[in-house]
Amino acid sequence: MKMEDMSLSGLDNTKLEALAQDIYSDLVEDACLGLCFEVHRAVKQGYFFLDDTDQESMKDFEIVDQPGVDIFGQVYNQWKNKECVCPNCNRSIAASRFAPHLEKCLGMGRNSSRIANRRIASSNNMNNKSESDQEDNDDVNDNDWSYGSEKKAKKRKSDKNPNSPRRSKSVKHKNGELSNSVNADPYKYNYNTGINYETLGPDELRSLLTTQCGVISEHTKKMCTRSQRCPQHTDEQRRAVRVFLLGPSESSLPDADTMVESDCYDASDGQVLMSRLQWDGSSDISPSDSASSKASTNNSDSKKPKKKKTTSLGLNSTGGGGGGSGSGGGSSSQSSLVGLSNRKKKPKLPVPPAPSIYDNLN
Amino acid sequence: MSKDSQMRAAINQKLIEMGERDRLKELLRAKLVECGWKDQLKAHCKDVIREKGLEHITVEDLVAEITPKGRALVPDSVKKELLQRIKTFLAQHSTL
Repeated sequence: MKMEDMSLSGLDNTKLEALAQDIYSDLVEDACLGLCFEVHRAVKQGYFFLDDTDQESMKDFEIVDQPGVDIFGQVYNQWKNKECVCPNCNRSIAASRFAPHLEKCLGMGRNSSRIANRRIASSNNMNNKSESDQEDNDDVNDNDWSYGSEKKAKKRKSDKNPNSPRRSKSVKHKNGELSNSVNADPYKYNYNTGINYETLGPDELRSLLTTQCGVISEHTKKMCTRSQRCPQHTDEQRRAVRVFLLGPSESSLPDADTMVESDCYDASDGQVLMSRLQWDGSSDISPSDSASSKASTNNSDSKKPKKKKTTSLGLNSTGGGGGGSGSGGGSSSQSSLVGLSNRKKKPKLPVPPAPSIYDNLN
Repeated sequence: MSKDSQMRAAINQKLIEMGERDRLKELLRAKLVECGWKDQLKAHCKDVIREKGLEHITVEDLVAEITPKGRALVPDSVKKELLQRIKTFLAQHSTL
């Protein structure tokens, strides 16, 4: 046979169609045969009928196709419509909501506002030591948070509970203000809680002010609970608050951990500084002065008031002002002596620029 | 006529040689399982076997019973697709 004879192109469509059909039916027959062999082998080997059970069991496990029922015949929302009576508040609650309701109602779950309850309890007996027992019991159930030594003046670091529905969004902070006005409750576990200074006694205020910033926000009239070095408030504000709350003669600002970041002031001001040790009633003026001076000064000056810690008034000396980022190495040695006096220096004084560093800037 | 038969033989040979036939076979099997044809036919087998008796069933019996039914049960979509593929193959390889 020659190859030319085999050409398909000479064929017309019907023949082509018939050819295709033949090939197709061959394929189908192959498939059927395959199945037959498989079944026959299964029969002869004895495993063909294994997947069947007896008729009785087949009926038991038949697929159910009724409305309101799943394929096994179980009712889906059987308990949804039932209602239970809460033993605490005697309200009728839907069954599926009963557990969360109980959690909130008894104040014992993770997301319940225990703090709210505690606040209510404690507001009845202010500054009463007997309260601590009650609150300790409450906190025994609390696995999340260990009870600190100070009850009220606590540092609430970012203790955000991401699952809590009460979590309030934090807004960008503005200088000198507590931006989170949503949270007026001082005892919630939110980030920017403030303390209401009116409710605290002098001793507590003092202890509070030694650890916290304490600047009173204009908005909420609450004290800032951030650390002594919180970037929102300046040392001036902190000092002003302490004077305001504790009186001019009080020195409640701790020295131990505060590094005087202020750039060194020249020694020529030393004498002037010593005279300023007595913090007269001019404290009211100084914050505003410093604010205005801050606003008007140029680069080098503006850096200092920000960094400077308004530390104590009738000071005991602490370690020399190590100088913050501004002072740098050169001036730190100088400032060791002046460091003492640096602290007491009022911001009113015109601050000479630091010797080496800022000259470059200017 | 002999030309036709010769031609058919040649085409079949080509189909096998190029592996196309096996591919088509696998494709058909997969599609038949997918569409439930196999399970249907198996159920029919069960009936036949129960009828004829488990012990005495032979391959020939099965084939005789199953094949015509199987051919009829193939869904149209599967059939069309397979025919399409065959025709494509023929068209591509028309000159031998």
